[in-house]
Amino acid sequence: MKKALVFALSATAGLFLAVAPMMAHHSFAAEFDGEKPLDLTGTVTKVDWVNPHSWVYIDVKSPDGTVANWGLETGPPNVLYRAGWRRDTLKPGDVITVHGFAAKDGSHTLAARMVQTPDGRKLFAGSPDNGPKQ
Amino acid sequence: MRRTILIACALSVTLGLCAQDSWDTVPKPGDPDPFRPGEKAGPLPRTRDGKPDLSGIWEARTLANWDIVKHRGDYGYPGGPGIVEGDKIPYQDGALKKRSEPAKNPPASPCELPGVPRLTYMPYAFEIVQTPRAIHAVYEYAHAWRIFHLDRTAHIAEPPTFDGDSVAHWEGDTLVVDVTGFNAETRLDLAGDFHSAQLHVIERYTPIDANTIWYEATLEDSKIYTRPWKLRLPLHRQAKGFELGEYDCTALESNP
Repeated sequence: MKKALVFALSATAGLFLAVAPMMAHHSFAAEFDGEKPLDLTGTVTKVDWVNPHSWVYIDVKSPDGTVANWGLETGPPNVLYRAGWRRDTLKPGDVITVHGFAAKDGSHTLAARMVQTPDGRKLFAGSPDNGPKQ
Repeated sequence: MRRTILIACALSVTLGLCAQDSWDTVPKPGDPDPFRPGEKAGPLPRTRDGKPDLSGIWEARTLANWDIVKHRGDYGYPGGPGIVEGDKIPYQDGALKKRSEPAKNPPASPCELPGVPRLTYMPYAFEIVQTPRAIHAVYEYAHAWRIFHLDRTAHIAEPPTFDGDSVAHWEGDTLVVDVTGFNAETRLDLAGDFHSAQLHVIERYTPIDANTIWYEATLEDSKIYTRPWKLRLPLHRQAKGFELGEYDCTALESNP
């Protein structure tokens, strides 16, 4: 029973921190691949605090030296705030690492789940409808 | 041990892990609050005129916004138990057909107001501000607000709106809100459950203790349903220090 409780607690903790964004205006399953986790490191170029999902843009350098600008889909601003994000958490020029799921169409788009900030903090970045089952 | 099961169950309903629908019975004062472990809820606060004081910030913690009947989770679609009494919406045959054909029943535009009763179980908090003349409900989601008029009993014939016209009265400690005047644009959830402009909602807010309101809504719509039906869920008072934020819905075109 104790195990079950711990499981229930840990399984739900993230959800309560980041209580759901609004409309499934697009479905995660349609755009992203829950079987394709992807980690990226790059330099922040822009942060858009908009609903129903905020966006963080980063420049990612490939091993061959080319640079691509990636769009990271995160949670709504209020959800990010309640997960510990502040307006100055990320600034253009910051180098961050992000964990998320790749887009199915191969575009430079990622459904972000966790962002590691320059000072090493790991912040929950998603919401129940922008990631696969936990 | 029983308490442990209760808490584990109440916490896990949001992920649909608990097979049992935990809202078959109305909570009792002093029932353990899964969101405030160890804290004992105080008695029901009252206003100077002796009415229950519902002022404060409340939130439904369900996944009914995705589907009001019991549903399985999928990628990007959190599963959860239903909030509908009997777990079945009594659609008329034609309406059921429309409900099962998404092309004929497109979802509401994502930036539109969610309507009633869905505003109550959106996954965002709302604040109740109470006066003797009217009770104001301010919803974080999409700048929505409603006024429950205590100073009139008749509905006004305003053009149809997303949130309708709300007149309210007290029945003992229960606030009863009668809502009509809807448009047919809103949906009851993301699964496509719907109504017509004939919708008539009777909401009942019954405070259980200082931290819990039992919410029931009866939906009547003679064009869509075969009979009035009911949904119900507990509303929980938000933790101390919680503040409503802004949720402005941005047009999707600017949100690639």
